[in-house]
Amino acid sequence: MIETVFKPEIKKQAEAIMARYETKRASILEILRLVQESCGYVSTEAEEAVAELLEIPAIDVHEVVTFYTLFYRKPKCKTRLNVCRTLTCALAGGDRILDHLEKKHGLRPGEAREDGSVSLQTVECLGACEIAPMMQLNDSEYIGPLTPEKIDQVLERK
Amino acid sequence: MEKLISKYFVTGKTFGMDEYLADGGYEAARKAFEGFDPKGLIEEVKKSNLRGLGGAGFPAGMKWSFIPQNTGKPVYLVVNADEGEPGTFKDKYILNHVPHLLIEGMIIAAYANQVHKAYVYIRGEYVGPHRTLVRAVEEAYAKGFLGKDIFGKGYALDIVVHRGAGAYICGEETGLLESLEGKKGFPRLKPPFPAVVGLFNCPTVINNVETLSYLRFILERGADWFSKLGSEKNGGMRLFSVSGHVKKPGVYELPLGIPLKDIIYDHADGIRDDRKLKAVVPGGLSAAILTPDEIEVGMDFDQLRAKKTMAGSAGVIVMDETTCMLKALLVTMRFYAHESCGQCSPCREGTSWVYRILKRISKGRGRSQDIKNLLDICSFMGGTTICALADGAAMPLRSYPEKFKEEFEHHIQNGKCDSPDCPIAEDLVTA
Amino acid sequence: MPKITIDGKEIEVPKGTRVIEAAKQLDTHVPYYCYHPGLSIAGNCRMCLVEVEKIPKLQIACHMEAQDGMVVHTNTEKVLKTRQHVLEFLLLNHPLDCPVCDQAGECWLQDYYMKHGLYDSRLNEDKIKKPKAVPVGPTVMLDAERCILCSRCVRFTDEISKTSELGIINRGAHGEISVFPGKELNNPYSGNVVDICPVGALTDRDFRFKIRVWYLKSKDTLCNGCARGCNIQVQYNTDRPHHGKGERVKRLKPRYNENVNKWWMCDEGRYGYKYHDHNRIETPLRRIGGKVEEPAWDEILRDLAQKIQNARNKIAVFLSPQLSNEELFLAQQIFKDSLQAKHVVLVSPNPPGFEDDILIRADKNPNSRGAEAFGYKEENIKSAAAVRDCEAGAVEGVVVFGQDLFEHLSHMNIRAAFEKVSWSAFIGSNHSVTSEWAEMVLPAATYIEKEGTFTNFEGRTQKFNQVLEPLGESKPEWKILIELAKALGIHLHFDRTEEIFDEMVLKIPYFKGLTYEKVASEGGHELPQMAAPTIPDLEQAEGLL
Repeated sequence: MIETVFKPEIKKQAEAIMARYETKRASILEILRLVQESCGYVSTEAEEAVAELLEIPAIDVHEVVTFYTLFYRKPKCKTRLNVCRTLTCALAGGDRILDHLEKKHGLRPGEAREDGSVSLQTVECLGACEIAPMMQLNDSEYIGPLTPEKIDQVLERK
Repeated sequence: MEKLISKYFVTGKTFGMDEYLADGGYEAARKAFEGFDPKGLIEEVKKSNLRGLGGAGFPAGMKWSFIPQNTGKPVYLVVNADEGEPGTFKDKYILNHVPHLLIEGMIIAAYANQVHKAYVYIRGEYVGPHRTLVRAVEEAYAKGFLGKDIFGKGYALDIVVHRGAGAYICGEETGLLESLEGKKGFPRLKPPFPAVVGLFNCPTVINNVETLSYLRFILERGADWFSKLGSEKNGGMRLFSVSGHVKKPGVYELPLGIPLKDIIYDHADGIRDDRKLKAVVPGGLSAAILTPDEIEVGMDFDQLRAKKTMAGSAGVIVMDETTCMLKALLVTMRFYAHESCGQCSPCREGTSWVYRILKRISKGRGRSQDIKNLLDICSFMGGTTICALADGAAMPLRSYPEKFKEEFEHHIQNGKCDSPDCPIAEDLVTA
Repeated sequence: MPKITIDGKEIEVPKGTRVIEAAKQLDTHVPYYCYHPGLSIAGNCRMCLVEVEKIPKLQIACHMEAQDGMVVHTNTEKVLKTRQHVLEFLLLNHPLDCPVCDQAGECWLQDYYMKHGLYDSRLNEDKIKKPKAVPVGPTVMLDAERCILCSRCVRFTDEISKTSELGIINRGAHGEISVFPGKELNNPYSGNVVDICPVGALTDRDFRFKIRVWYLKSKDTLCNGCARGCNIQVQYNTDRPHHGKGERVKRLKPRYNENVNKWWMCDEGRYGYKYHDHNRIETPLRRIGGKVEEPAWDEILRDLAQKIQNARNKIAVFLSPQLSNEELFLAQQIFKDSLQAKHVVLVSPNPPGFEDDILIRADKNPNSRGAEAFGYKEENIKSAAAVRDCEAGAVEGVVVFGQDLFEHLSHMNIRAAFEKVSWSAFIGSNHSVTSEWAEMVLPAATYIEKEGTFTNFEGRTQKFNQVLEPLGESKPEWKILIELAKALGIHLHFDRTEEIFDEMVLKIPYFKGLTYEKVASEGGHELPQMAAPTIPDLEQAEGLL
């Protein structure tokens, strides 16, 4: 189990991460992120492998994975649209942005295209209210202030 | 007005080590070692009246003085860079533009509290700021400002930059510690307080990014100077994150105690399209809203508390006359329902219930007793839990229907209001 | 020691005492769900909020330590109102499926609603749906909708069984108790999570839908499953044979004893009760030339006594560490002191098994240590000598106390040896290969049908109590032994186990100084002023069930 998730190169990286912390367990968020980057998501098998690596109960890993929002429990899509829905973005017309994306991709928030091309998700405040309404693209870039036209431009560019 | 931190907020620019040094960077940290013993340093910070700028406003020097020394255990410094309070984005600016300011502050705080290992807990969504900070930490190691023998003073300090993974509750300091120890971010029962039993059961100082970033200036120009910048017992300046219906949203560094009105109209350039102001969130989403007749208030911890709201994280969210207050409250409460960790029953059940009631009202199925019930739930949700998340939900929840009673009643009776944002789009009410 | 005032009453308590425990010492019950004295403090249910003078916010009594001069109020209007609303929150998404819930009748939500709730529902929204009737393991069923997320079960698996199968997954109102996908709650102590679950979220798959709890009667006794001697309650019903296939015993529950088992018991003991109602020998039996007769008690006793007398001392007696001290004492008086039987050996009916450092002992007998006090220890060499003498024709008859010797001593070729003796008697409660072979079978009560004492592995002598009447015509071994002695003309003047005990204390040095009263109370009759594992006593006393 552990060898299929932590292939030698990944294992080496994991060990470097673990070495920064006082306990193995403390490295869990970074280790899960590493697994997610190398496997594309955190599978049940990966959770077990992480538990084995960190020498903690598997259910504790499962708790962590289901508690935080940034872990994908299914293979993540190529384009991931995380649209902010909290107050400033809502005041700035965030719902119209969401509406545009829903229609454009035929998705409801929380859904993903079956071909793995696009997923649409609403998220809570990302700390970028100065560019409201905004979204985070592919879990990295912040984009805003959004208009339907700007979205189309950005997505075409990608 | 003079800028301290924000003078480095140059669009598109990060001040790297060389530029930061050229601007006198790390001299204050060196001065801390040369001019103070740890106790004296804590006294200096106490004198500056520097408050915790993450939201609680606790005097920073006093917080440090609670750290027991010589317990045989290491003392940790943990920097709260989780910045999750909606309407707040100032720490991101520091991390993006001048990460060395934080690192310098960390060195000063570490020395004052005899810390040799520090963690920065940065929210997982802050990908760019994380990258910038990691690079800056590497630069500081390369210069010998971090590591085994910093500034050649025989003092060791290591910094580990750690990323969260998407949970507002990890901004609560004990939730943060749990998370940093590799668990769910369930806030801890207090006492013991983190100063005594914190990270890995050791004494721990937890400070916000901005709080630490002001240390350089306090050491450069003295505690008295800093203290006089602000209002009574509210030393210095702070970074106001201004967003919403203003012409110029952004981060404004202003002295504590500045009238809210000045922030909105002078600095953020007033309301978009010169519309009328309807309401303002003065200190992050968890603060009670203020109405136009309350915006003369001075923006410091004590004056805002007197107005039954709070300075919080200084996230100012401005709402103009077109705002549907039900929608604003619905969106607000959805946030808490989504972010409650679920540990304490009043918060877990209360935040979700309130959100569902508001959702029902928004769909035109409001009932006459709803407002009374909301206020009642609010009073038992707040003040009954381990951490302050429920209090943070209760505060705005009380303020909206109290300050806009007629609008809420109208909404319940008619199923909608006259705002162009109403009725609320169906999409918005999906949990 | 800090002095604290609770509702006007002052009490001095050891430093570090929680307010909730200090209150209990004053007979003030502060309600709670998540608190359990055997587990770490979680402080999440918020039911025990009380007012502490000079502190503006209400404080949870389970976490707050008593400080000198602290003044606490547990029933001010603010406290009562808050308590009511905390309950409202806890019950908000609860499905209120009491009519089909096994917990009904011993549910802390029901009890506290009657005592602290009594509000009208204000919920006009849909309730949150969660998984129902999920078998999370071989013994436990989970209903996540009924769960109040108090985390007692999670803490139990983390801190007591140390198996960590359970956790709370997801966040906020969507949080739920869960095992890891594909794994199960399966540890030697899993049943305890049902005991400590204050609501109907975790129910016992063995007990589910057998009977409503208000039909249960309960009696304190011990577990005989291993050498620990856990203090338990046997919960039974004899009036409703249509429930639970006519079984009298419905379930076993642990009973608090600080020194023996705290609040817990193992699954082996908990679910090992079926033999009381199954496969029982209910009448005396006699086998003559392939025919089975059912003689009366006095007839079979007379018959056995005659055979024993004829054999003089050429008999072999197989005693068991399942017998009580009193029975071993009688057996010693009869077979050793009076008859001077050639062989009186101890044979365990159960081979040594699993052991851990929690409760479970490898020795699966309740009274091996007691037997030792009489000089009996299971020794292969002694049993082998007895079997060899049978084989050699040096033994005329054998008396077996309950063990299935054909099973346990098969390696000694016991069947062939026993074929050589001219008569055999089996005194036991359940059918076995040995009982099916024996010429004379004397039906014995099971241990819950009799009283006596066991001495556990630490040397602690505890009393066990009679819970049920012996099934059919069966009798406790101590009674059988007294009657046999009478038939043998041996004068034993005992009518009650207490009398045997008193005599034993005088004669056997090991038991010196013990009194029947003392071994009963050390068995845990006096529940310390701490939380009981199930419904708080006060709630029961107030007739709220």
